Amino acid sequence: MRIPIVTGLALVLTLPAVAGEIHGTVACKGVRDSAGAVVYVDAIPGKTFPAPQEHQKINQQNLVFDPHVLPVLAGTTVDFLNSDAVQHNVFSPDACAEKFNLGTWPKGQTRSYTFKKDCVATLLCKVHPEMEAFVVAVPTPYFAVTKADGSYKIADVPDGAYTLKVWHPKLKAATKPVTVAGSTDVGFEIAR
Amino acid sequence: MSHARPIARCLTLAMVSFAVVLGAHRPASAIPAFARKYQTSCQTCHVVFPKLNPFGEAFRLNGYRMPAETEEEIKETPVSLGSEAYKKTWPSMVYPSTIPGHVPLAINIKMADVYASQTDGTNRTITRNDFQFPQEVNLFAAGTFGDTFGYLAELTFENGAGVSIERAQLTANSLFGAGHAVNFKVGMFAPDLEDGFHEMWLMTNNGIDSLFTYNPIGPNGGTGTAEEGGGISLPENVKAIEFYGVAKHRLFYTLGVTDGLGQVSTDPGSNPQSTGNDVHSAKDWYARVDYKFGGMGLDGDTTGKTLPPENWRESSVRVGLLGYYGTGNDVVFHEFDDLGNPTFDVIDRRYVRAGLYASWLWRDLNVFGVYLHGKDDLTTTDLTTAAVTQPNPTYDAWFVQADYVIRPPFQVSLRYEDVAPGDPSAASIRVGNANFTYLIVANMKLMLEYQRDLHESKNYNAAAVLRFAF
Repeated sequence: MRIPIVTGLALVLTLPAVAGEIHGTVACKGVRDSAGAVVYVDAIPGKTFPAPQEHQKINQQNLVFDPHVLPVLAGTTVDFLNSDAVQHNVFSPDACAEKFNLGTWPKGQTRSYTFKKDCVATLLCKVHPEMEAFVVAVPTPYFAVTKADGSYKIADVPDGAYTLKVWHPKLKAATKPVTVAGSTDVGFEIAR
Repeated sequence: MSHARPIARCLTLAMVSFAVVLGAHRPASAIPAFARKYQTSCQTCHVVFPKLNPFGEAFRLNGYRMPAETEEEIKETPVSLGSEAYKKTWPSMVYPSTIPGHVPLAINIKMADVYASQTDGTNRTITRNDFQFPQEVNLFAAGTFGDTFGYLAELTFENGAGVSIERAQLTANSLFGAGHAVNFKVGMFAPDLEDGFHEMWLMTNNGIDSLFTYNPIGPNGGTGTAEEGGGISLPENVKAIEFYGVAKHRLFYTLGVTDGLGQVSTDPGSNPQSTGNDVHSAKDWYARVDYKFGGMGLDGDTTGKTLPPENWRESSVRVGLLGYYGTGNDVVFHEFDDLGNPTFDVIDRRYVRAGLYASWLWRDLNVFGVYLHGKDDLTTTDLTTAAVTQPNPTYDAWFVQADYVIRPPFQVSLRYEDVAPGDPSAASIRVGNANFTYLIVANMKLMLEYQRDLHESKNYNAAAVLRFAF
């Protein structure tokens, strides 16, 4: 019996701080549903996160950006795939994304852009002005996008005290201090 | 030079009867295109269409948008003509807009059985019973473009008058940010000069429209009303540019310029007095200011108010001043005798109209009215003697109307109208109207109306009107 006890003790000692989760609901007032709000943990003093090697992807299909809202850790590269038979373009009018313009390309091709710093980047297509999407580059890897009912869940957040923020394409942003201890419920209500 | 009194009287009565039988036309403002857009009932905005309740008036003044409109309230998803974020790229790219998800059309149909009795100069009584099926059909297109712009167009088929463009307007709302403080309108429309009470009229078949069809043209000034195209009175539908808005929730103002000479037609076919040459380039000006005490704000604001759940009710008083000014130096109207021979030429060099408006709403009762004073500076040339005179006749017109909601489907209305013409030899016009309305369903109503010349009991008409909108 000693061996399992020692093994278990060793496992506990080698784990990082207990990973909790932040979950809750963002009630979005004045819009059709509560989807598309980004909830994220703001910069943690003294802590930085390396840019992920894995690329994220936004698909342009049926004249729509998919997903409409994509949160990423700052430094992430996003690949834009054209899956339509028509040409698409991607550009951003926002300075925090260097007002990039990736040009125009046909079906099956991908062009990429690295979101180097914290930024809410609007993505537009000059060929189809009604197309719109957002890449929200945030300073921590702790983020989530709300579902239509406003629910969200950010997993694997170490216990501790943080600043939780919510951003929405049409509604005013909001901020709340939060202390994570295991499973933590945080709700927001945002409006125009 | 003056007309004999019997002739003037006879002319007046004939004009009244003419207007009555045809049904004085007004914009038919029940617009189901908005019911579709918001997926809401007619009763949201109307007591009985077209009469607006306080919310409906706020909706109208807000450029046909909900007060503090949210995306959730628009049930019919609009088609994007550019994403919201394109605003950031202007002027490098085109500013974004939207169009309705479906073709925003709506139709009003009005049918009437009009029984009219009138006496002529020989005291002979003539009666007519007309099936006016339809009396009028209106095709509407109405909606909004994006956050700022709105449009409204109305094509009307009127029994006996054919098809005409009744309204075609483009509005821009909240031009300088503050909610509905400065709005702009251009096109052909009923100016907000009188639209505030225009939209309140429950009676839509009878009425001499003393405010809109008074004709000041005549050797001694006007003898009364005339059918469309005859007078220079308040404009009912004109080509105009207008700024209007609501300040501090309760102060309404409007300032506009119209194409001039009110609604005088220069087409000799519809206006025998016309020269047929539209050489008139001067414009007319109008202004109005209102204040509403109590009840819902004119922009729909309800802060600090507890309003009854019955949305046609509130306790409020709205009062206003209105004015209209124009010049017609370059338009000559020809007067003819009974045999069709020219007798006088008349120029209305300058015309001024000033009025008071008031509306009192108390529970189920709404009493409202307008008093209008007009002054015309005429130049009259007697074609027989070549004598030129410059009379300055004045006239006074007013009406008061009481509408009462018995129960939401049943309403009654009484109106009294009075015109004291500019020609002192002409008799005044006094007309009484009574109406009973049954709102069969939300978008269909039956009205029984009665109108009588209060000078002559044999001059009257009764009408049964069926009107529906979809």
